[in-house]
Amino acid sequence: MNFILEGTINGILMGSIYGLTALGLTVIFGVLKVINFAHGSLIMVSMYVAYWAIIFTGVHPYIALIIVVPVMYFFGYYLQDIIIKPIFKAEKDIREPITVIIVTTGVWYILDNLTLLIFGPQYRNIQNNPLRGKMLEIGDMLISVPKLWGFITAVITASAIYWFLQKTRTGRAIRATSLDREAASLMGINQFKIYNIAFGIGTAIVGISAVTLVPFYNIFPTVGVLFDIKGFIIVVLGGLGSIGGAILGGIIIGLIESIAPMFMTATWAEAIVYGLFLVVLFVKPSGLFGVKYDW
Amino acid sequence: MKIDIRLMGKLTVFFTIFAFVAVLPLLPASAAAENVVKVGNIIPLSGPSASVGQQGKQAREMAVAEINAAGGIKSLGGAKLQMIYADSESKPEKGVAEAERLINTEKVNVLTGCWNSAVTYPTTAVSERYGIPFIVPVSVADKITEQGFKTVFRIAAKDSWWTRDQFAFLKDMEKEFKTSVKKLAFVYENGDWGKGFAEQWKALAKKGGYKVVLDEPYPSTSTDLSPVVQKIRRVRPDVLMLVSNAADAILLTNTLAEYKVKLKAIIASGGGHADPSFLKATGKNARYLFDIVEWETDVNKPGAKEANAKYKAKYGYNLAGEAVDAYLAMYVLKDALERAGSLDPAKIIKALAATNLTSGPGMIVGYDAVEFGKDGQNKHAALIMVQVNDLGKGLERITVWPKNARRSGYTPVFPMPNK
Repeated sequence: MNFILEGTINGILMGSIYGLTALGLTVIFGVLKVINFAHGSLIMVSMYVAYWAIIFTGVHPYIALIIVVPVMYFFGYYLQDIIIKPIFKAEKDIREPITVIIVTTGVWYILDNLTLLIFGPQYRNIQNNPLRGKMLEIGDMLISVPKLWGFITAVITASAIYWFLQKTRTGRAIRATSLDREAASLMGINQFKIYNIAFGIGTAIVGISAVTLVPFYNIFPTVGVLFDIKGFIIVVLGGLGSIGGAILGGIIIGLIESIAPMFMTATWAEAIVYGLFLVVLFVKPSGLFGVKYDW
Repeated sequence: MKIDIRLMGKLTVFFTIFAFVAVLPLLPASAAAENVVKVGNIIPLSGPSASVGQQGKQAREMAVAEINAAGGIKSLGGAKLQMIYADSESKPEKGVAEAERLINTEKVNVLTGCWNSAVTYPTTAVSERYGIPFIVPVSVADKITEQGFKTVFRIAAKDSWWTRDQFAFLKDMEKEFKTSVKKLAFVYENGDWGKGFAEQWKALAKKGGYKVVLDEPYPSTSTDLSPVVQKIRRVRPDVLMLVSNAADAILLTNTLAEYKVKLKAIIASGGGHADPSFLKATGKNARYLFDIVEWETDVNKPGAKEANAKYKAKYGYNLAGEAVDAYLAMYVLKDALERAGSLDPAKIIKALAATNLTSGPGMIVGYDAVEFGKDGQNKHAALIMVQVNDLGKGLERITVWPKNARRSGYTPVFPMPNK
């Protein structure tokens, strides 16, 4: 029975990392009401930033957070400010601006192909990092250390974001904007500034998730696409805009991916993930942990 | 009689235009159009196989630059090869759409591609419909040359030959090292390519008296393969046989090492395991892995070393089997065009069918000739096995099988020692 326990643990660890990759998506959606199709590319860009930060400084992968988080925050902040905001303003009367979605798709293609041009299609990973390939041995059970770090990071990040949104003044402004743009603007909140901040925070979270992936995953220009689709499923599963929902949704996906292959092939396990996604959309379109209204 | 000059003028204009239009098709096409051969290439330039698609592109570019620099196609008045690339993104529907576009809009004379068997299979049907020759440098699914098509020519060995050689290799190793292998595990990507291999493995295992303890297709886009690796660990196979694309090959190799899976040997099937970034991204975790390939840099062929050196200087890494096939494909095309002496697709197809290429700059492959059978399959294509090992100069791929092609002085490591 040990292997089921082992699978469960791996599922929870990997799932929480999936949840963390989806967390940025859910934060951005919660505030801007925009599905950010460039999400995967932001993961990819963050992974490259983390990769070069670690390669150049030679520090422990997690210390790279000091570089990655601010870099990605400003990357997201200015991406929103320069590219997305003008379109937002043009469509400001619409609750869910479609054009912005198209713009983010454009950003996705541009970022992926730029990376392909600059860094080439090679697969990279960090050979000499203290976390790489480390396994915790408990009896004959093996637990991946970098994934354990990822799990802890995911829980801390989600709690911190939750706290930030609930308790700080900026957090409250973000929530207010997310609930009602017009009313928030009337109360003196600069909604576009809030969008910039929310996009920046979402992207910074993406940066954190990239740091958790870099110690054990490959870095290549289209890596984002793999996490992208998963991110959308997780976010819909957990409820768009829900922070706890993203992490729990991620863990559900992780558990299915990890446990289902014990009884069937890994291909079927993937089919189950998509099947569950459809069932949730049918039965509870607001997601498993979503609420009828936002926050 | 008064001649209506205006009417005459109109008539003159009319007849001039009429004469021009009537004669136009009889005129030889303008020199500019005649002097290029448009080669459409549908390869994955983005998406999961972008890395291998890029190499295919680079190898084609290198060959075409050489051919054009050497005077182009002489029988066509020194016509240059003009390359047109289309990105399949490894998606069958993209490949089909691009083939339609290349044939109808770009008016290509020849198509090549598409690396992913799943893309090549439906795409060749498009070229067959239009009667445009389609050269497949490498896409291994058997069925590509079993459709009864007259326009499809495959240079690389098909996958039933790959699996045949993998099992022959395994038998030879058992004999040479007096180690018996009983339990096999098959783990493969769940596309056309992986499934094609697995079907033949199953038949060959049955014939060879092996027990198949795991038959696991997995999605190549997996972000976590530890569930698959845990499964391998539980069934305790002697030999693990793999078919993987690049990202998953790296992930699998690293995860297998992390979970300390004990195996006598891992036998891979090229593709991701032959990707130049594979060794860099896996490091010592890939040590002792066996891989089947069409080509290795230590292959003993005239021009091979030089071609590889040129490629490496240009693009920064060694030629891989796929790239060599793409490189050779351009020379096969050149040879056929020289003999066809025309851009008529039917003539090019006839010339391709009569190919018997044994020498020239493109012939840096392990086998001795390119000659297509009735089905369009190169009859002479053959494979070699390599082992990844570190002989003190970093990890490298060393040719070990067939025995007469083995790098001199090297003894393969079999079974794999515990790490």
